[in-house]
Amino acid sequence: MTDSLLAGELPLPPRPDYLRHGSTVWSWLSTTDHKRIAILYAVTITIFFFLGGAAITAVRLELFQPNGWLMTSDSYNKLFSFHGIIMVWFFLVPSIPNTLGNFLLPLMIGAPDVAFPRLNLFSWYLTIAAGAFTVYALVAGGVDTGWTFYTPYSSMFSNTHVFAAAAGVFVVGFASIATGVNFIATTHMLRAPGMTWFRLPLFVWAIYATSLIMVLATPVLAISLLLVIAERVFGLPIFDPARGGDPILFQHLFWFYSHPAVYIMVLPAMGVVSEIIPCFARRRIFGYDFMVYAMLAIAGIGFFVWGHHMFVSGQSPLASLVFSFLSFIIAVPSAIKVFNWTASLYRGQISFESPMLYALGFVGLFTTGGLSGLFLASIPVDVHVTDTYFVVAHFHYIMVGGSVSAFFAGMHFWWPKVTGRRYPESWAKFAAILMYAGFNMTFLPQFFAGYLGMPRRYHTYPAEFQIYNVMSSAGAAVLAIAYLLPLFYLTWSLFYGGKAGRNPFGATGLEWTTSSPPPPKNFDWQPRIDRAPYDYHAEGMSAGTDPPEMQNAKETQ
Amino acid sequence: MSDETAMLREPWVDFSRQREAGKFGIWVFLASETLFFGALMLTYSVCRIEHPAAFAAAGRETNIWYGTINTAVLLTSSLTIAVAAQGAESYARLRRLVIACLVVTALLGLAFIVIKGFEYKEDMDKHLVPGAGFALPERAAQLFFGFYWLVTSVHAIHLSIGIALVGRLVWVLLRRELPVTENPEIEVTALYWHLVDIVWIFLYPLIYLPGRSS
Amino acid sequence: MSEPDKSGLTVRRLWTRNLVIWAALMALLLLSLVSAYIPMGRITTASGIVIAIAKSMLVVLLFMELASARPLIRLAAMAGLVFLAAMFALTLSDILARL
Repeated sequence: MTDSLLAGELPLPPRPDYLRHGSTVWSWLSTTDHKRIAILYAVTITIFFFLGGAAITAVRLELFQPNGWLMTSDSYNKLFSFHGIIMVWFFLVPSIPNTLGNFLLPLMIGAPDVAFPRLNLFSWYLTIAAGAFTVYALVAGGVDTGWTFYTPYSSMFSNTHVFAAAAGVFVVGFASIATGVNFIATTHMLRAPGMTWFRLPLFVWAIYATSLIMVLATPVLAISLLLVIAERVFGLPIFDPARGGDPILFQHLFWFYSHPAVYIMVLPAMGVVSEIIPCFARRRIFGYDFMVYAMLAIAGIGFFVWGHHMFVSGQSPLASLVFSFLSFIIAVPSAIKVFNWTASLYRGQISFESPMLYALGFVGLFTTGGLSGLFLASIPVDVHVTDTYFVVAHFHYIMVGGSVSAFFAGMHFWWPKVTGRRYPESWAKFAAILMYAGFNMTFLPQFFAGYLGMPRRYHTYPAEFQIYNVMSSAGAAVLAIAYLLPLFYLTWSLFYGGKAGRNPFGATGLEWTTSSPPPPKNFDWQPRIDRAPYDYHAEGMSAGTDPPEMQNAKETQ
Repeated sequence: MSDETAMLREPWVDFSRQREAGKFGIWVFLASETLFFGALMLTYSVCRIEHPAAFAAAGRETNIWYGTINTAVLLTSSLTIAVAAQGAESYARLRRLVIACLVVTALLGLAFIVIKGFEYKEDMDKHLVPGAGFALPERAAQLFFGFYWLVTSVHAIHLSIGIALVGRLVWVLLRRELPVTENPEIEVTALYWHLVDIVWIFLYPLIYLPGRSS
Repeated sequence: MSEPDKSGLTVRRLWTRNLVIWAALMALLLLSLVSAYIPMGRITTASGIVIAIAKSMLVVLLFMELASARPLIRLAAMAGLVFLAAMFALTLSDILARL
């Protein structure tokens, strides 16, 4: 029996996998299967990603010339606001948690589905409803406040469609909260027998920590937007200084959400990378316990640092001091993670397959982004570079270099599991390297431009900055190609790609013990776990294709 | 245990585990709601710290009778839904009691909304809506009433959702689509209802009590 | 109603327990109403908040049965309060120092 298993033949009657279990459109739109909902999310956020990308392509074209050759400043303002709003709330926040997280969380803990499957589907409907509404509002009317909706500009002066956009973001917040509640309950209640907390894969920990932030921070975003809406529509004077209101209060409420939201975007990325690096280094992850504590620390401390966005807002110096100190502290757990990823590579049998290339790219870009963040946590430097391209470069290193790279890493790593197909590896490697190069070409010059004083969000600029902007725009073109490539070869692989086995990368983890694609209820047997994750073979031994959990599961069947 | 199989949902195999997950899930959601209303109350606190005198003057303009009676109404509805939830947990088969308590709860919720409507009418007649023609001379009194209108309507929306949930529960239980005993939906609805009540418990001193002693 | 005596007993216990809590809530409501009219400066404001905390503790611990709930549920309930406290503390560290 074990022999037939090792040969990849499951001694089970044939049954349809989750993709072939019902093929009508309605069977997709009414599905409560977490794997299908993950696919629905993946299609949705891909559309949003390319919409947001199209907007910023126009912006980068405009910035080729210092004099505003392509568009008016009004349309420029609307385009970068469109880019920010769509990318943050409709791509980055749902990206890894709702696609890979939805797909993998139950598989990784050995559960048949998430705790509340209907809530999961409801959350997707909220996302597309809010997304369609917001895109319509941003295209038909436009918003020029930037994604931050700062008062009093957004509440009193902007004559664009702030109300509609804020309402769309407000609604998608509920989708986020619903997802968070669902994942937290799933992690607590549906772990398979033997799956103790410290046997959870780090990706599960990452999704869990992310969900905590989603549940506890998103309601405050809802309030800050609700207050803006109330002021615009009903004339309630909450942020109107002329009637005693306090516009800085908006920034407190907004950043109480939006700073932790950065960790909503980057924690899942850390989880993905923590799965991929051990697999392609054939090493146990270094310092598993510390990785867990570091993630929880990031999620927790992330709530206490928001004031570093407000050093020049008129906030009291005392508060700035407190927030600056706390912001330095959060660098510690982030550094622990970077050191542990690197240490996991030490003396590993490293192979550079495309997921690993993306993951290593993540580590480098995240480190750069994180270190530049320390500049911004320090008040004197921050005062110098506030609202310059230095800030833009910093957070794009985290969110695009970090999160988006990790999203592509995860896509390539679990693609065979999700679709049952292999993609052309050489194309994937090429795209990964191109993405790394294009990304640095785009954003590295922005550090210099920003440090020299080029402010963000302006549609014209002094001619001395043109060299940086031309480099940046040229890099953006490369980056755009690198993002479009996977769209083509991954789609191609759906039809012509070779069939993927159960575990093409020889990875550990319960998701690799079931067939590719998995059956509707994920497992043909109840998984049981008796060991810690990342149990890769010791040095010198051949890297087997059969994860230990698999053998274990069959023995106890 | 045919009752339990009727209430078992995917992906659960064990009904008590499902119940526990539902209860845990709603508590996590309530933690989220805590921050939702907490952020509103933070807004209030900041404005009140900045403008104490105006808030006292504005607080005096609210009608304390409507406020106090409505607090009593909501506290009583918490009593009835608590009895319903605890009755459903016991094995003594208290179907009639549970349904009656749920009906009373929904009616008390409706009574709250009706009383609130009369209060809103009076506030409008007294020109307590922020904007042109506002009744009070203090600038920041408009802030107080801005908060008042916003937070009471957000609370009323929450309460209306609660009434709808309880009403649906009564409907389902009366038609015997689901059993009463150990029904997790009763417990979950009750927890939500109590939270809406707690929000009002805090709004009462914030809205109706400032400036009464001066 | 196979066992009318037993269910009658349960019903009585149910009502006594909860009516006592309800009476305490009503008493606290009256107390906060009265204390609002006594001029004590800041203590008047504080009394309103403290009584509201007391009332909500009664509801949370007894009506919502948090007192007898599993530790996991208590943890979930606490999580919201902890981060709410952080939000108040850090925001007020700005506001109070700015006045």
